[in-house]
Amino acid sequence: MADQHPHQGRRQHFHRGRRGHDRRGERRPSQTPQGQPSGGPDAPQPDHVDVDQIVRDIKARISQRHGIDLSAQQIQELAARRLEAILDPRTVKPGLLDQLRKAAGAPADIAPAEPADAYTFEDHTIYDTHNGLLRFLRKLFNPLLKLFFNPNPISAALHTQAEVNRAAARREAERERTQAEWNALHYTLLQRLVTEVSRVSLEIQSLALRVESLSTRTDFTERRIRGLESVPAPPAIPSRSFDAPATAPSSPAPRNGGESGTGDGSSEGRRRRRRRRGRRGPGAGGDAMTGAGAALSPSQNDAAEGDDDPFDEGPDTEMGDGAEGIEADTPSSGNAGEPAAVEMAPPPHAPEPAPVASTAPTPAPPAPQPSSPPADAPRDSSITPPVTDPSGT
Amino acid sequence: MKLAIVVQRYAEDIGGGSELHARYIAEHLAAYADVRVLTTCARDYVSWKNEYPPGVSRVNGIAVERFAVAHERDLRDFARRSSLVFDETHSIADELEWLDSQGPQSPALIARIEQAAHDVDFAVLFSVRYHTAFHGSRAAAAKAILVPTTERDPAVGLAILGPVFRGVRGIMYNTPEERALIQALHGNAQVPGVTVGVGSQIPDTTDPAAAAAKFGLDRPYVLYVGRIDVNKGCAELFDYFTQYAAGTEQPLDLVLIGTAVRPVPAHPRIRHLGYVSDQDKYDVMAGAEALVMPSYFESLSMVMIEAWALGVPVLANGRCDVLAGQCLRSNGGLFYTNGREFEAMLERLLEDSALAAELGDNGRAFYETHYEWPVIETAYRQMFDRLMAAPTAAPLEPLPGWLAARRRTLPPAAAAVDAAPRGPVRE
Repeated sequence: MADQHPHQGRRQHFHRGRRGHDRRGERRPSQTPQGQPSGGPDAPQPDHVDVDQIVRDIKARISQRHGIDLSAQQIQELAARRLEAILDPRTVKPGLLDQLRKAAGAPADIAPAEPADAYTFEDHTIYDTHNGLLRFLRKLFNPLLKLFFNPNPISAALHTQAEVNRAAARREAERERTQAEWNALHYTLLQRLVTEVSRVSLEIQSLALRVESLSTRTDFTERRIRGLESVPAPPAIPSRSFDAPATAPSSPAPRNGGESGTGDGSSEGRRRRRRRRGRRGPGAGGDAMTGAGAALSPSQNDAAEGDDDPFDEGPDTEMGDGAEGIEADTPSSGNAGEPAAVEMAPPPHAPEPAPVASTAPTPAPPAPQPSSPPADAPRDSSITPPVTDPSGT
Repeated sequence: MKLAIVVQRYAEDIGGGSELHARYIAEHLAAYADVRVLTTCARDYVSWKNEYPPGVSRVNGIAVERFAVAHERDLRDFARRSSLVFDETHSIADELEWLDSQGPQSPALIARIEQAAHDVDFAVLFSVRYHTAFHGSRAAAAKAILVPTTERDPAVGLAILGPVFRGVRGIMYNTPEERALIQALHGNAQVPGVTVGVGSQIPDTTDPAAAAAKFGLDRPYVLYVGRIDVNKGCAELFDYFTQYAAGTEQPLDLVLIGTAVRPVPAHPRIRHLGYVSDQDKYDVMAGAEALVMPSYFESLSMVMIEAWALGVPVLANGRCDVLAGQCLRSNGGLFYTNGREFEAMLERLLEDSALAAELGDNGRAFYETHYEWPVIETAYRQMFDRLMAAPTAAPLEPLPGWLAARRRTLPPAAAAVDAAPRGPVRE
């Protein structure tokens, strides 16, 4: 089964070698005798793999790389705290937020309730009494009363007033209900806005970290390029014959995009170098390990290739270009077959750029001239951004 | 000893979680007791349509009595009642009507359970959220042993379940998380209970190479087994996996086994094998780099147990307390809570072969210690012995009267469940 899965890419240790039935292998002795439920599945397994710790480590690594990764619930809790902070307690009535929160959660009354003190006035109201005899007498003498004055306009006016009171109370209840709904809506809107602002600010924070990380990485790459450009060309190997003269030209040949200068700067020479660089590998290093590159051990050479370089993704091309520039200015640059080791040979102990420049026999100033601080510590961990783990996700 | 196993559906070709659980338990307890299964004629868990003939039959040597379902499920009515009891203030009557709507309603089955309670030593009832287990527990409370198979969904917060959880003789929990949730919601710590789970029918040998050849699995793969449904977290799994696949050149496939309820995305690295035989399932599982379990709601993941039995590590959804708890207690798998963690955990499993192998070994030890059949059978038999020696519990709390049952004072069940403590149980 394992053989069916070709190893591809960087992950060469993909298979554990115990796939399928093989993985079952030797059976571990049970921690309790068969048939005895030792405390049920509650009992933890006394193994040295601690899933809890592994998960926490991975989460911490993710947080380190991508900023704090909060769940939706955590963002809402954060937003709730921010919302309280937005509503300044000195200017807002204490407890208003709680009221709004409750109003948002509680359903508003569908219909306004009748006012408790609703007053009704009908034609017979002026004669009402709980005393039956008195009510009878009033009815009996009502015509006599109407002989002296007309009580109907008084009854009508009071009846109208009662109706007006009721309508006003209904309007007030309706207004309060609408206000409660608006309050709930406003609170919900405010809460969601704050939640979204919180989420966006977290994303901005994360992106800012990412930008900072990338800019640090870019800066480091540039420094490294400059450091490589400042490296003196290794001395020529006398046993090799070169087409180009072994001495430096009397005047530094200005590089002009690789088109001018020595002949190896031609596109044909560059193609050959790239072909050679492409061929160079663990098993085909005969050519590449000669010359200046032979000064490096294979491991160093591999390191120079950038295999263990945390920045092996971006600067490769730039390094190639830079190395070609160096190569064009070095005495040995006449041989198009040699520069592979030179071009990718960052010194394990990075040289100071200034002394290098001073000791170079023909100091062709790399263009552009480094304006930033010298690349004194290309592998200084202090400038290594947290995203540089090559094995990371 | 005479046992009655009560479950909403029962057949050899029914692969649902609690139904398969019930069948396994019935078949394994048959070695120690006279087991009789009481169930309905339904085959489809959505409609409860009567598809099996009523009467007595035998399934794998177990006597099975089937009773007709009174009516099929009205999905619209069920959705409306679910919304009422889960999300709104409601009454006991509302919950009982929800249960009737949930089904499967079989008055003949309930009457038979009531009658069987006089004949059998114990009635083991599965899945309390169904009509059969709820009313069956009430009909045979003095003999009832409940296997709740509850998940952290709103149904477990229904108030009508409280008297049942507090009134049965014993409870067989699937996981410590389930036990903690039920005890927090319904205060039944005094009821004898044991966390036991269920085993599986693991084959003696597997042949992953044959499965790889049969299904053309020529690249490493992680495996998902189960219904391919949004409710099982598959949409999220597809999202996370496609993101992972877009960011890596590693030749890793996602292989799916199971019926697709939702469409499977057309992605070159996602392979859907459909429904396969058990042997093929185990063969494919044995060759997987890991089993992925993306579900949010699980009472107990039998698939995870099967993977561990084969020494396969697990990558589970950490937002499901049960799955995270199983991973923590077994040290047999990792769990994630978002896409980044999914990718990171998957990378870790794939890159660290020693860790993956050790997780698989731990999972296998966890299976052997807790989920092999002798362990399960012993737990059940010990519970039977314990209950036989114990005095009969107090009678079940009665349902409230007509007026009290209609007072809409109960909080939404979902709110009750949300308020319950959450998180995996580590010990």
